[in-house]
Amino acid sequence: MKQDLTRREWLAGAGAGAGALLAGPALSFATAAPSGRVSVARCKTYGSELVPTMDKMFDQLGGLGRLVKGKTVAIKINLIGVRWQRLGTAKMEDTFWTHPRVIGATVHLMGQAGARRIRVVEGPWSTAETLGEVMLSMNWQPQDILNAAANVEFENTNYLGQGTKYSRFMVPGGGLIYPGYDLNHSYEDCDVFVSLAKLKEHAATGVTLSMKNVYGATPITIYGEGAGEDEPSIRPHGGRGGVFHFARRQPSKSAPQQKDLTLPKDAGYRLPRIIAELCAARPVHLAIIDGVRAATGAETNYGSPNRPQAAINPGVLIAGTNAVATDAVGMSVMGFNPMADRGTPPFSNSDSMLRLGEDLGIGVRDPSRNEIAGTPIAEVLFDYSAVRERILAAKGKKG
Amino acid sequence: MALNADSVPMRWPAGPLEIARREKAKGSSTETAEVLRYWQDPASLAAIQGTPVNCLVVSWASGLPADASQQQALKPLIEKGRQAGLGFVGLIEGEANRPAAVAAAQAAGLSAVAMEGDPPASGGVPVIPWNKSNQGRWTADSAILGISDGLWPGIPQDRGVVSAPTNLPWVDSNGAVLLIARALAPDKAIWIDFDAPQQAKLTTEAYMLAVADPASYGASWVVSLDDQLRADLTAKKQPALDTWKKVADMLAFFEQHKQARTYQPMGPLLVVSNFGKSGWDVGEEALNLLPRIRQPFRVLARSQATGASFAGLQAIFYVDQEPPDPALRQKMTAFAKGGGTLFVPSQWPNPEGRPMPAEPYLLFNVRALGKGRLAVCKEDPPDAYDLVADIQNIISHRNDLFRLYNAPSMNFLYQASAQGRQGVIHLLNYSRRPGSDGPLFYVKEPHRSARLVSPEIASPTELQWAPQEAGGAELSLPRISVYGAVELES
Repeated sequence: MKQDLTRREWLAGAGAGAGALLAGPALSFATAAPSGRVSVARCKTYGSELVPTMDKMFDQLGGLGRLVKGKTVAIKINLIGVRWQRLGTAKMEDTFWTHPRVIGATVHLMGQAGARRIRVVEGPWSTAETLGEVMLSMNWQPQDILNAAANVEFENTNYLGQGTKYSRFMVPGGGLIYPGYDLNHSYEDCDVFVSLAKLKEHAATGVTLSMKNVYGATPITIYGEGAGEDEPSIRPHGGRGGVFHFARRQPSKSAPQQKDLTLPKDAGYRLPRIIAELCAARPVHLAIIDGVRAATGAETNYGSPNRPQAAINPGVLIAGTNAVATDAVGMSVMGFNPMADRGTPPFSNSDSMLRLGEDLGIGVRDPSRNEIAGTPIAEVLFDYSAVRERILAAKGKKG
Repeated sequence: MALNADSVPMRWPAGPLEIARREKAKGSSTETAEVLRYWQDPASLAAIQGTPVNCLVVSWASGLPADASQQQALKPLIEKGRQAGLGFVGLIEGEANRPAAVAAAQAAGLSAVAMEGDPPASGGVPVIPWNKSNQGRWTADSAILGISDGLWPGIPQDRGVVSAPTNLPWVDSNGAVLLIARALAPDKAIWIDFDAPQQAKLTTEAYMLAVADPASYGASWVVSLDDQLRADLTAKKQPALDTWKKVADMLAFFEQHKQARTYQPMGPLLVVSNFGKSGWDVGEEALNLLPRIRQPFRVLARSQATGASFAGLQAIFYVDQEPPDPALRQKMTAFAKGGGTLFVPSQWPNPEGRPMPAEPYLLFNVRALGKGRLAVCKEDPPDAYDLVADIQNIISHRNDLFRLYNAPSMNFLYQASAQGRQGVIHLLNYSRRPGSDGPLFYVKEPHRSARLVSPEIASPTELQWAPQEAGGAELSLPRISVYGAVELES
């Protein structure tokens, strides 16, 4: 890996596929979306098998040291939704949230690989609480994560946090909805950006994997329903739905504004584009999807009679050097066709964020064009639709 | 009948004064007037037979020409009611001739009168102060205090189920003002008065919540039925009779569990204020919001804080802009030096301690003070939600006593007996509809037993503790439409 890249050069280069830097030569986004390397592993529990399994997966990707040694790493975890609303008695980390042991294992292995500093970042729904406090409120032990390696810190990126100004990320090619995004400094003050996601479905975007996880990087102070009109608010209030899902309002004027106000206000149109352009503007160098335990139906409490939710144990981990490629494998593991687009499950009501990401040159969906290592997908296939069908059949409510 | 803490009050709209007032205010339908006439008939008392209601609050005088005829018209009702052991309170309002109204009340044998402001010098019957919550006469010489501006509890009709900054829907509750009232008048019975919204079609559950919300906080709703329900009750329509039975059952439930009224709210945070002009807005709104962010707390009148024990507390929030007297300041800073956290308003002269390294707190400058912290608010007045959120963030969830899941429209209130051996967690569902899942309750320190009691279930249900790997235990509760309580025994 080139050691003399500046952060901005790295960011720009990462648009050509972080996998290129980790896994070897690949196509430049200027010509075509690059392929990626993805590792799949059976992992049935969050117990002692977790760290060696992840270690082996990272080796299959070319080794963590090549990516993180001497670098500052930002790990975007997934703590989405109203945390007081669980799926029955199942814990958030067993359904919708990245499991703390997967976070801890990732941090630990990054530390072992020589990461200079590791910052765990997330914008939990509508709060300025420290991430440690959010974790404590779920009965997690944040010290376990902070102590998993040297120089580990947390930052709530819903607002300015420890920074003095927001960082601007422009979308290569000018963007589809917004030309760029203003984010917390942590997303710029890192050499390596990791999306640590959950293997979930989503009511509006079909699936929510490593690409969709980046959506939660957007600060509520700018993109929340209570954001300031002209300038970011000081404190985060409200969710992102008003701005991103339905365009009921625009982001704070200090941030790049929507390119065309006549664009559809349908979440199925907007969200996939916003997610794809966010991933193009703030590229993911390493995508990890926690599918040891998860939930079907939708993320958080957005299930419905015809979209029932269930806590499940797919027992799988997926990691890759390209977010589109990794999510494509994730979809395959979930029993979906990664080449599917609007009208075909899971994209019954939305465009495919993966196809849009491919169009933006982030990566390719076609499994035959990506290198897949580890456990064959067929051996870890966990058919999310079949789970839903079984629930509906049992309830006799299929509509 | 002498009135006391066991009195169960109910508004009894009846007679010419009620008719005149309604005609003056908004007009009155023939049917409503008929019902108001019927309810002055002693036969109407049959409606409360067999219910806990034992005190009727009647309009007595309001400065209208109908005052005299009202007092005359109610005589048979009062006479019959007194024979049945009922108490009567005459409400004196507006421009009424107060001495004359009080004298008439004495002559008619009322148990008490209720009025806003100062009572006339020559009484003759007990006077219940009947004031807005921020003008309460907390030290008045009365065993009962009335709060005249209660809220119909629930998710506000005009807002729908909207998400608030708390992540959870806004709810209207009387909890905050009742906690203030109990802190400022700890030995008095609190009655809270609010009418049913006349425009809305009210469900049975709405009435049940109207009883449960004040009762959970140790107070009594002055039961007030809407015109349509009273008309339907008069006509003996079965749905109305069913609703009234449920209301009566809810009243009876709280009478059966009235020992909980002696329990005190418990929590690691103590809110100290005299809730006067400088502390009312911030204090009342903070007490409204703390339950929404699931932060257990206690409330203490500033006047009693110097002599109170701070044992078991993690933090004190001193609300008032005017500084405390030196003794209280010394006591609270000593608490912080011993390891607690003291939250104070922006006008806190010469803050003790030294600034701490940059902390990610938005509303407070946190200073190291001995083994603890002094947190000085940066804003005056602060945004109430940001205030309580930052207080909770600084206190930390590490030692949460309780956490409530799968109940976005619910508030809970934890109260414990003086010795701490018995506790009760009141659960109030402001949506008045059961959720898709039952509430899930995390308890840091499992007790010997936990059982659910509720007028919604036939008999108490023993709850099973589900120990958690990281400590504590969880209790899975059945779905609750309006109210349930977890009784804890250690």
